[in-house]
Formats: sequence, C-alpha cells, structure tokens
Amino acid sequence: MPPPGRSEAWDAAPVALLRLDGDGVIVDANLVLLEWVGRGAQDVLAGVRLSELLSVGGRIYWETHLSPLLHMQGRVDEVAVELRGAAGRLPVLLSAVVRTLDGDRRMVDVALSKATERSRYERELLAARAAADRSADQLRALQATTAALSRGVGADGVARALVRTAVAGLGASAATVWIAAEDGRLVRTASAGSATGPGTADPPDEPWAPGPHAAAGSPPRPVEAVEVHAGGVVVVALGDPAAPLGTLVLVPRAGQGDDPLDVGILTAVGQQAGLALERARMFDQKASVAHELQHALLTTNLPPDDRFTVVTEYRPGVQALEVGGDWYDAFLLDDDVLAVAVGDVVGRGLHAATAMGQLRSAVRAVAGPEVGPAELLRRLDRFVAQAGVGFMATVAYAEIDLTTGRVRYACAGHLPPLRFAAHGAPEFLWEGRSTPLGVRSVRTEAEVDLDPEDLLMLYTDGLVERRGRPLLDGLGDLAAAGAALRESSVSALVTGLLTHAGDERDDVCVLVVAWPGADPQALPTADPRT
Amino acid sequence: MTVLTRNNVVLSGTPGATPMVFAHGFGCDQSMWRFVAPAFEASHRVVLFDHVGAGGSDLTAYDPQRYGSLDGYAQDVVQILDALDLGPVVFVGHSVSAMVGALAAAERPDLFDRLVLVGPSPRYIDDAGYRGGFSAAEIDELLETMDDNYLGWSAFIAPVIMGNPGRPELGEELTNSFCRTDPAIARRFARTTFLSDNRADLARVLTPAVVLQCREDVIAPPEVGQYVHEHLATSELVLLDAVGHCPNLSAPDQVIAAISAYLSHAAARS
Repeated sequence: MPPPGRSEAWDAAPVALLRLDGDGVIVDANLVLLEWVGRGAQDVLAGVRLSELLSVGGRIYWETHLSPLLHMQGRVDEVAVELRGAAGRLPVLLSAVVRTLDGDRRMVDVALSKATERSRYERELLAARAAADRSADQLRALQATTAALSRGVGADGVARALVRTAVAGLGASAATVWIAAEDGRLVRTASAGSATGPGTADPPDEPWAPGPHAAAGSPPRPVEAVEVHAGGVVVVALGDPAAPLGTLVLVPRAGQGDDPLDVGILTAVGQQAGLALERARMFDQKASVAHELQHALLTTNLPPDDRFTVVTEYRPGVQALEVGGDWYDAFLLDDDVLAVAVGDVVGRGLHAATAMGQLRSAVRAVAGPEVGPAELLRRLDRFVAQAGVGFMATVAYAEIDLTTGRVRYACAGHLPPLRFAAHGAPEFLWEGRSTPLGVRSVRTEAEVDLDPEDLLMLYTDGLVERRGRPLLDGLGDLAAAGAALRESSVSALVTGLLTHAGDERDDVCVLVVAWPGADPQALPTADPRT
Repeated sequence: MTVLTRNNVVLSGTPGATPMVFAHGFGCDQSMWRFVAPAFEASHRVVLFDHVGAGGSDLTAYDPQRYGSLDGYAQDVVQILDALDLGPVVFVGHSVSAMVGALAAAERPDLFDRLVLVGPSPRYIDDAGYRGGFSAAEIDELLETMDDNYLGWSAFIAPVIMGNPGRPELGEELTNSFCRTDPAIARRFARTTFLSDNRADLARVLTPAVVLQCREDVIAPPEVGQYVHEHLATSELVLLDAVGHCPNLSAPDQVIAAISAYLSHAAARS
C-alpha cells in the first residue's frame, strides 16, 4: 500500500526520497534512490535499514549521532554522509524529519541530495587546510627541534637534545639515539622517556629492529629516512639515509586517542639532527686541531739558565671545545737580556689559534737588542696592518736585564704586569700603556728595577675577569692571592693562582719570571720548568 | 576548577536516597538520559555528568594523553564519585561508558553497588574467535573519514541548531551539547572508543551487573552483549525488543522497566 501523500512527483523528484519506520527500516523509496544504490525496489524494501546503505563511517554516525538527534529533536538537516552507490561512494546531504502517522506510528521522512560537487570542493578546502595545519605543525616541531639541537654541545649533547625533544614535542613515549662510532658500530648515546605507561614498551635494545632491508651478516641500515618496524617502533635515519650518522629509535605513545608519529616531521628532524651531528663532529675536530696547534705554538725552548726561572701555564676554558687566542713566549734577546711576552688575540677557535701563532712569531722576528718595547709595538702595528692578522690583539712585553734586574716594558691594551717584590707589597706596573695592536696610538714604554728574588708576572684576563665583578676588584684579589702564595715555590704560586682564577669558561695564560739577582747562587727555589 | 564543574555534574532526585549515576556514550552528552533519568528521581539521588570534551564539560581540561585510553575516563568517574561521597552507586553506562564504568568498578569496587550496562562492547573490532561487529579496515575507514572530513562534523552541527527556530529550548540545549564539542576532541574520542580492547578487564569486575541489549544493534551486536554477560563475574542479560544503539532514546520505557526490575529483584535478593 503506497504511503499517504505518495504521488507521481515523488519518483520524479530531483532528490532521493525515503520513508523509514521507527526502527530506521526503509518502507518506501523513490526511483532516484533505487538508481543511486543500484538495487531493485524489492531489494531495498525488504527490511533494509537506511544505515546499511551508508558507508561504515556514516553508519556509525547514524547510530551514534543522527538517530539520537531524531529522537530528541525530531529532525536533522544537511548532514554530510556517503551512500554506498552502484558506482562507488556517493556523497550526499541528508535531511530527515520525524512524522507521527495514525496517531502514534512514528515514521521518518528522509531526503538525500547529491553533494558530489560540493563534497569535492569541501575536500579541496579541507585538504588545503590540512596541508596548512601540517606545515604549521611541522614548522613548529622543527623550530623546537632545531633550537634544542643548536644548544647541544658535541655529539653527546646533540643526542641528548634529540631524545628530549622527541619525547617532549614529537609525540614519542620513549626515544633512543644511536650514533655510529669510527668503526661504524652503533653506540647507544642517549635515551629519554618512560616505558611505564599503559601499552608502552622499551625501545628495543638495538639500533633498529631488523627490517626487510636487513642483510645477513651486516647490520641493517635504514634505506628510507623513516621506517616503521615491528611493534610500531619507528626508526629515523640521522642524516643521509643511505649512510646515516646514527639513528633515532622511537616508541610511539600507545593510547588509542594519540596521534600517530608524523613521518614528514620525523624526516625533517632526521635531516636536522644529521646536520647538527656533522656540525658537532667538525666542531670537535676543529677544536682538537686548534688545541694541538696551540700547545705546539706555545713551546718556548729556552735553554737552561740559572740566571732566571720562567714558569708558564696555559689552561684551556672548561668547555674546551673552543680554543682561545691566549699566548705567551720567552726568549733571550742577547746574552744578558730575557724577553717575555703574554698576549691575547681576539676571537676563538682555529682562526684565533693561527692568528696567535703568527703574531707570536712576529714578536720574535721584530724584537732585537736595540729595539726596545715601544719600538717593538710600533713594528707589530705595521705587521698587523700588512698581514691583516691580530687587529685589536693585546700584548704585554718586557725585557729583563739579567745583570741588573732593570725591566723595560710596554702594554698594548693588556692588563698590567704584576711585580711580587721579595720585600713589600705586590705592585701592578701601570705605566708604558697604549692601545691594542692595529689601533693608531703613541707607543710608550716604562722601566722598573727588580730586586733580587722579585717575581714578575704577565697574565691574560682569564685570570682576573669574572662575570659581574669589577676588573679592579679582580686585580686586587689577584694581588692578595699572589701575596699569600708568595712564600711557596714559583710553580706552586702559578698553580695556586690558576685554581681560583676568574671564569672557568675562559682560557688563561700565566708567565712568571723569577730573578734571583745578579748572583746566580742567590736563587733559593730553582725550578727546572721552563 | 573542581571535578564537578569539569564534568558538568548535575544532581537531581531525592537527597539521601540511593545514588544513581548516568553516563553518556560517544556522540552525545547527558541529555541522552532525558527520557530515562527522570523516572528514577523519586526513588534515587540522580547524578548526570558530561565526559570531558562533551556537552557542558570544561574543554580546556581535555588532555590527549589522559583521554587516549578509557582508563582516563574511568579515573574521571572515580574522581566524581569520590568528590560526591554519596556511598556506593548504581552506575548506568551507555555504549562506551558501560566499559568506562566497568573499568572504574574494577579499580574501586567500594564506590559501586550495581552496574547497568546499556549496549556495552569491550572491543568493536573482530578478532580471532570474537565478533565485535567491525573489521579493522572498517574502523580505519571510520577514523579516516573523521580525520579527513571533519567539516562533516561542523556541517552537521550548525544546521541542527539553526534548524529549530520553533523550539529554541532545543537549540539552547544542543548548543550546549554540540557546539562546544571540538571536532578534534570528537575524533580522538572516536579513536579511543573504537580502538580500545577491554575484554581482559571484564574478569576484574566483581560488581553485580545487568546488560541491556537491543535485539538489533550494529554498533554493539547481541553476541557482544552475550560475550560481556558471560565474562563478567556476576551478571544478568536482558534483551530489549528495540532496534539501534540508543534504546535510552528509542525505547526509554523498556530501559526504565528493565532497570527497575533489575534493581528491585536485586534488592529483594540481598
């Protein structure tokens, strides 16, 4: 029996029309619907529920959202669902209204209109929005990762930064970084995250779970930048996937509501981490070259001479990854004159080390018996201008007449030499000062006479400078500390001063000359070090 | 913010009477109980609430990790019951909340007197020797549809509210219910719901329970209700002559009658 209101127009409508009973079973449908779903009328009407004609997503949606709403408010409008049509899925907009017939029979009238075009357009919009969201997420995650990696010092620091970021920002529950050692073996370098949450597991204690790329006898290498292995473990190549510097092994969070790890982001993170590791390695290498160079350059080769003792000490900064430009030298100008110098070249690293070496050689080259400190500085100025090396470097230079104890000295922008008198208070030699090298200046020099058993100390600013402390306070402390150590041996004095030197991050150079007096036999604490 | 405002807890019924808590399932909020809960107000202290992310709950309290598994929702139930301190409750959970209540009762049996599980399913995906009603691929399809097509949610939500000029009170109610449901939260809740496997937890539930099962339900088919009944320590199974996943809306009289009958003969027995 056709339902009331049924007419020819029903079948000719430009939309699919259906009537459902109270349980959602189709009791009538127009020709449009039959055509869309590709079924005969008998078929459709034989107790089929509308939700069965929808895609699975639509079916669940109907049961959990639409059916409740029809009960609560009697109608729904413009719901986007997909019909399982004769020719694949057909996006439709669904509107439905509840009608009560014959007093208490609850029926639902449904209209479906085609939404192919609209749906395609919406999907384009959605895809664009999703792409924009994804790139924003990727950018954020990458920025956070890059920032974290840039703070990591050395390969170990990079590895630690990487696992922390992976757990804090990339959605992993646990992360491990393996870094290839020189022999190619992978070494577990850093781990983070807990495996105690529900359903989480420790990262496998191997660089990566054996995957399809595993070759017998050799450790499997990721060929893809990001690979998903058994148990959901994700392996990210650090650097070039064909020859990775290491791997990042991630265990995703296991909650059902958690987002899966984003392969795009992880690929970029792997590349960033690879770059950071390369940088860290080159940096380590450069730093060690610079250190070796510095030690080689600082050799003095003074012949043993009981008319004086020279004790020198160089302490690199604590982080030791960057070498400073501090240097010292001591050499005989002629038979009776000892020249000593301490300097500081602007900058750090290999560049500063080579500049320091050139400048130090220049001092020896331009020094001479008839030159004197002021003229030596003028010649160094010329060298700086011609060679383009050592601009703004500072130097303290002194010539000691071993027969008289007379000292001629000059300071180009450098901290004043410190004289520990055998009898009396320590004294800074504040005269003979001029600007750093390369800066136009009148070069002056000064003289002071040492008494027998006096000490003359040249040093760099690392010995006194400490963040937040005025320089003069630092000098005062240095003089006091030195006075307290004066009675010990010269090398003990140097060691003692270095122990509570200013800022441990800075490198420090100290040079002390002990002059026993004109009579060599008067030297009480002969120190074999030169 | 207290637990009670976080979960939009609403009390009604008879103070001092046996407490009865109604928990809504995926896709709706506490208004789902509008045809059922009032029937128990004369005899019970009635407690309604919204899961975080639904209805009038505090959306800012949504934490993807906490609510990434049903345990997070179960913890919320425990916190609500602890905060109310009403004594052991009759817990009525619909759909996914049936399992939420079961998990909470397994953890804190002292808070529960009886469980009423309406359309429960411990696992929606078929497994060896188990029929959940969906294949893994079908759930993937649902999640993909939701992930790719969240415009569908807003396209759906807005007209529902706009389309009822004649009944503003409904619009108001649905504004509270749906407008504030963040599509991102809804997608996560869908994933948490449909990818959970809590079959092993059923044996841990010692609280007496009744399973209300519709004779036809594509979300939680009758054999799933049977499975739950068989794997609980103490339970009864009541088959409702109703179709669909929401008998609390489509057949509220049957639901009320079944709950009342269960509670009265349970009371008579004890």
